[in-house]
Amino acid sequence: MANVSHDADHEERVVELHLPSRLGYEKVAMDAAASIARRMGFSTDRIEGLRTALAEAITNAIEHGNAHDAGTRVLVILTVRPSELVVSVADQGCKPIDQSQLAPAPRIEDSFARADKGGWGIWLIRELMDKVEFTTAPTGGNQVRMVIYLEKQP
Amino acid sequence: MSDVSPPLSLELSIPSEFGYERVVREAVASFARRIGLNSERVEDLKTAVSEACLNAIEHGNAQMPEMRVGVNCVWENDGLTIRVLDHGLKRYAGHVAPCIVCKVHGEAPPRGMGLYLIAQLVDTCGFETSPDGGNVLCMRMHTRSMA
Amino acid sequence: MLDDELHVHIREREGVAIIDLVGDVTTFAEEKINGAYNEVSRKGARNILLNFRQNDYINSAGIAILIGVVTEVNRNNQRLAVSGLSQHFQKIFRMVGLAQYIDIYQDEDEAIRGLTAAMA
Repeated sequence: MANVSHDADHEERVVELHLPSRLGYEKVAMDAAASIARRMGFSTDRIEGLRTALAEAITNAIEHGNAHDAGTRVLVILTVRPSELVVSVADQGCKPIDQSQLAPAPRIEDSFARADKGGWGIWLIRELMDKVEFTTAPTGGNQVRMVIYLEKQP
Repeated sequence: MSDVSPPLSLELSIPSEFGYERVVREAVASFARRIGLNSERVEDLKTAVSEACLNAIEHGNAQMPEMRVGVNCVWENDGLTIRVLDHGLKRYAGHVAPCIVCKVHGEAPPRGMGLYLIAQLVDTCGFETSPDGGNVLCMRMHTRSMA
Repeated sequence: MLDDELHVHIREREGVAIIDLVGDVTTFAEEKINGAYNEVSRKGARNILLNFRQNDYINSAGIAILIGVVTEVNRNNQRLAVSGLSQHFQKIFRMVGLAQYIDIYQDEDEAIRGLTAAMA
């Protein structure tokens, strides 16, 4: 069984998920996160935002970080605190995130020129979450840490 | 549903606090739908998994939030196997049909039907020995019962 | 930190006390359900309908609460029915034997017809 360390803050609960690196399975984490967010009292809007951001983060991890390698996993950690939900997504980092993709806002004109018309995932995450950090996971992979605050409800 | 494929698995862990079994319930249901269980079997699984987690939270881990309940799901060609693991502070093996008459007449506690329900809802279930002394409840749903 | 997801409302229709249970019935529901039962009983209800809606999650702890209500209903010579349960939870109610004590109806209208016919 996985061991999760807790800090002194007793007002914190952690849920951990390990997903297969297969597109479609991000839905498992989206449903789990939505279930927590609903019971924490987030609005439907914010929960939909969370679902989308989480989907983008996990599909990035599957496609880029883990390069669709069936032997790799995506680790999603949901940390419930009295006034915020912290969601972190880590891959096993075969391929680091392209730093140019972390730029604040892509332009739709640039997107037309790209073969995959993509590049919107990270921008969406930044738009939808209150705080976003890109770091390296303790295991060496890429990690996205996203926070939504309970009081920032529309 | 994919046919010839390596086993697909999902592992999760939650704190031992009532309410968090819902997260497992949602995640496992989502995984089960993804691999192609029909909606009736998904409902069966949701109830079975919640009851297994409730036992692990309440008995196995004595409701100590810092103790983890682990849930492992493995999907192979012959079926779906789900294991629920706790720290084994208390054993809760053995399931008999609850006596509803006794319960209604106050001669038996109203609780205590989780394992019975699990046994009714999955194809096979049983406890496995864990090297670290925890309870491991293993539940299986066979492919032939899923579609 | 995680709130429960059950809303309980009480109303009356054709002499039947209806307790609407919207949401999940788990260990957190005990106070709300027992409170609603006690309130309708204090007002002299003889026929009680537990009308379920959007009950995605009913667990054994929730069923234990309902067994407690059945115990009280028998003691007070009331009649108890349920409606609106999903097929899955109807199956669960039958599995644990609750169907011996509670009339299970598909929906509220059917339950009202059944209960008022029994009153007549």
